[in-house]
Amino acid sequence: MATFELYRRSTIGMCLTDTLDEMVQNGTLRPELAFQVLVQFDKSMTEALENQVKSKVTIKGHLHTYRFCDNVWTFILQNATFKHEECQENVGRVKIVACDSKLLTQ
Amino acid sequence: MATSTTSTVYIQVIEDVINKVREEFVNNGGPGEDVLKELQGTWEARMIQAGVIIGPIERTGAPKPALGGAAAPVHDLNVPYEGSEEYETPTAEMLFPPTPIQTPLPGTADSSMYNIPTGPSDYPTPGSDTSGGGGGNNNEAKTGRPSPFMQPPSPWMSQRPPLDVNVAYVEGRDELDRGTPHQPTTQDFFTLSGKRKREEFASQYHPGGFIPQQDGAGDAASEVFEIELSGGSTSLGGHGILTTANKEVVAHVARSCSKIPQLDGPIPDPYDDVLSTPNIYNNYQGVFNEDYNIANTPAPNDQPAGTPAPVVQNDVAEDDDDEPPLNENDDDDLDDVDEVEEQNTQHLVLAQFDKVTRTKSRWKCSLKDGIMHINNKDILFNKATGEFEF
Repeated sequence: MATFELYRRSTIGMCLTDTLDEMVQNGTLRPELAFQVLVQFDKSMTEALENQVKSKVTIKGHLHTYRFCDNVWTFILQNATFKHEECQENVGRVKIVACDSKLLTQ
Repeated sequence: MATSTTSTVYIQVIEDVINKVREEFVNNGGPGEDVLKELQGTWEARMIQAGVIIGPIERTGAPKPALGGAAAPVHDLNVPYEGSEEYETPTAEMLFPPTPIQTPLPGTADSSMYNIPTGPSDYPTPGSDTSGGGGGNNNEAKTGRPSPFMQPPSPWMSQRPPLDVNVAYVEGRDELDRGTPHQPTTQDFFTLSGKRKREEFASQYHPGGFIPQQDGAGDAASEVFEIELSGGSTSLGGHGILTTANKEVVAHVARSCSKIPQLDGPIPDPYDDVLSTPNIYNNYQGVFNEDYNIANTPAPNDQPAGTPAPVVQNDVAEDDDDEPPLNENDDDDLDDVDEVEEQNTQHLVLAQFDKVTRTKSRWKCSLKDGIMHINNKDILFNKATGEFEF
């Protein structure tokens, strides 16, 4: 199963990466094993988002920068509004990084 | 705070990862179950600290006792204050006593003791600062110049105490060295009679009709020296034509005139200024920095006055270094600003895109399976639609 390393940049991914780094530097963990854990995280996170998350979000905002490189879209929005269920979030500047979903299904 | 669903999903992801890598940890000579527990405990602790998991983590089954091993690190990260404050106060007191040791009287204390605590960056600032910039000049001063007039170091030079701390002194010495080797020569010429000098000029001049270089690089300097010549050494003035070497000699004759009691007529003040070494430098440096000239106009003739000139000379060089030609580093600065902004805001959406379309300046995109970190909240979505105006 193909996976994205994309989600390693999320909070949960960064927490895992920091933990693994620490343990590898301590000598508690072999780097190869740490890498296996990360790959497993990629799979588990993708599965969880597919199967357990049902919510829908709408995003509006001023597109400051767009970039499409290596099948990854990057948008930088200004004054963006996120509507999520009944709550709404406003941010002055947000970055959206999106991989091509078709790469996973292949 | 995290929404409850996000927290739930995160906890399930953690459990899923831990369960699926357990085999690797326990079998095949892996580090064992304890290390896996440590991994899980630290991971969860970081998540709680980041505020994306609502603790305490409710365990759904067997892993519950497993948390026991990880309880200590979790507790440490969340409640660090009670324990550490008790220890901090004595620790700080332990740190303070070295302070009186660090500040003994400079005369009585061992200098190495004094240097170690303060570090090389604090104490010898003038030396360390100048060593970088003045190092080259220092070497230059030591090696001296391959001048045709170079002679063994004069006693006057060896009388000078060694100067090693201040760049101004080093530069000054450099300055003086330039003049020093010439000085005995100059004085030799002075002892010569006027007739002898004429013969010398004639011998250089007449054989073969060869005229030594007069229109080379020394032109700018020769103007200065010719002024000196006409003003100062009247005995040579009649010749009118000087070789490059002789110009230098004459220059030093003239220069020494400023130190030797005046015998051959009054010397005007501006002439004095021309003769003084720093002001000769002014003539060269004026091209680069006008301020420098203004600052050094009242430079006196005595030798310590040579020190300001090279200092400013250094400044000029640094100014050149401060403005390197345009290169790719200039772009990096902008990127850094962008990155800093992004890191400051820290609003990030990670997702997969199904479709991205654009109609004129209106962008539409449909995303799925995303993690948003916005306003310190983690929000997961299954689908998202975006409408952006470019």
